[in-house]
Amino acid sequence: MENPVRKSLLMWLALSPLVIIILFPFAVMISTAVKPHLEVMAYPPTWLPTEIRWQNFADMWEAARIGPAVFNSIWVSIAATILCLIVAIPAAYATARMEFRGLKLFRQFLLVTQMLSPIVLVLGIFRLMAKMGMVDKLPALVLAYVAFNLAFSVWMLQAYFQTIPRELEEAAKLDGASSFQRLWLVFLPLATPAIGITAVFIFIYCWNEFVLAMTLLRTPDYNTLTLQVFSLVGGRYQIEWEQVMAATLVASVPVAAIFAILQRYLVSGLTVGAVK
Amino acid sequence: MSRAATQSGTNLGRASTPYLLILPAILFSFWIIGYPIYDLAGMSLRQVNRFGLTAGFNDFNNYSRLFSHQLFIGCLIRTLVWTVCVVGGTVILSVPIALILNEKFYGRQLARVIIMLPWAVSLTMMGIVWRWSLNGQSGMVNATLYQFGLLKAPIEWLATAGTAFPILIGVGILVSVPFTVTVFLGGLSSLPSDIFEAAKIDGADGWQRFRHLTMPLLRPFLNLVLVLNFIYVFNSFPLIWVMTQGDPANSTDILVTWLYKLAFRYGELGMASALSVVMFLILLALTITYAMLAMRNERST
Repeated sequence: MENPVRKSLLMWLALSPLVIIILFPFAVMISTAVKPHLEVMAYPPTWLPTEIRWQNFADMWEAARIGPAVFNSIWVSIAATILCLIVAIPAAYATARMEFRGLKLFRQFLLVTQMLSPIVLVLGIFRLMAKMGMVDKLPALVLAYVAFNLAFSVWMLQAYFQTIPRELEEAAKLDGASSFQRLWLVFLPLATPAIGITAVFIFIYCWNEFVLAMTLLRTPDYNTLTLQVFSLVGGRYQIEWEQVMAATLVASVPVAAIFAILQRYLVSGLTVGAVK
Repeated sequence: MSRAATQSGTNLGRASTPYLLILPAILFSFWIIGYPIYDLAGMSLRQVNRFGLTAGFNDFNNYSRLFSHQLFIGCLIRTLVWTVCVVGGTVILSVPIALILNEKFYGRQLARVIIMLPWAVSLTMMGIVWRWSLNGQSGMVNATLYQFGLLKAPIEWLATAGTAFPILIGVGILVSVPFTVTVFLGGLSSLPSDIFEAAKIDGADGWQRFRHLTMPLLRPFLNLVLVLNFIYVFNSFPLIWVMTQGDPANSTDILVTWLYKLAFRYGELGMASALSVVMFLILLALTITYAMLAMRNERST
């Protein structure tokens, strides 16, 4: 009927302006990250460097102290993801499987916490953490990240949980499995993909978060990666852009890769959550 | 509900199970989100010094100072412009993109990955890279425009009052498109294909099918996208903070960036808490409207 090659060309042509604008910053990242310093500052600048300076990456890692920041980001994100799942999974199970007085209220409560972004409450959160003596401590970030991801996580998980047929658990019950066994051996294995996708979303949120990290952390040694890269451009007269771009590349590529690989699952996962 | 009630009559232990399961989530939210709201509300009504020590009630002085501040109206209007333009632009762009990505063509998977990319990269990183790209002297935006003969003299995009805010809006749209396209794609894939076949057989052309079938069926997804984007964009801080910090001369400040400055730069804790409360109420009103709309939809279907 239609020529598939012609159609594909048309589709790509229609998408091309957006594709170019989306890829533009990535091209800038790569181009600047491997340029010698003098060429970075040259006017007019060019896309291609005369020599490729891999040394920028080593300089960035040392001078911009990216290593410790990567470590901080990893541990905060993993801790927050695990803690958030520990709190969210039981709540999601209850909302998906049980009927109880106040279920609707609980859902509305989730909706309200979902709409709040940290920035609106940042002053209050800072005061709370100060009161608990947790300013400039990474666990403060973990707690805050858990709280701000709970509503989303419960919402996502319960949408999935509802799609898991009850009959399987009921069959296990007839076979004499205890409620704990049913949960641990039947339900949770079936729910693993959902839990995994939710975990990826929480992890990416924590990895990318900026406002709370900027507000709650004081000592540069504790900076998360996002904050550390920002501190390289915020309030400095001399910005080593080739190092900064090398750092943004290092901060972006792993997450972008995870995203690209899992894209299909993330999309279908989010849709299950969204339709509900 | 009735089943739960009879169960609770016969077996108290089992009836309390759901509450035990949701209890940690509730406690956590009250602790980290609820208490700050309570604290901000209290602080907004009291006299506060720059170290956060509160004194007695001050007759809504924080609110009256906030509303009469010379920057308040400007920030409020810019927040509105910012939110409406970014959300509107995002939705208008996302519908056709989702329709294209829903077609079968060579390289569709790659196209999807590219379109989703900005979503994975943090707003902070996007802001930093765009700030560098838009640099007047060494930025690649000027260099590229220059190469194509579209520019004669370099433009300081972010340091010029006339261009900074529109540029921010453009970048804002760019980073909001991936999420929005994703939701629409999910919506499109959930549409029943048989009615489209039927419409085709009945002679409806592409535009008619889009107007009378696709759009109405996408309606719930459109609502969802509008509300969520509104909340995200209204609260969007990192992009503006990284690219301009509200400069030049507060011309790109929206409420969230101004709030941060009031709280952590100028030490105006009273006004900052009042502004937090105002923004909280705006968001709450919006969420309630959304919940009511969603409930009405549920009842009508």
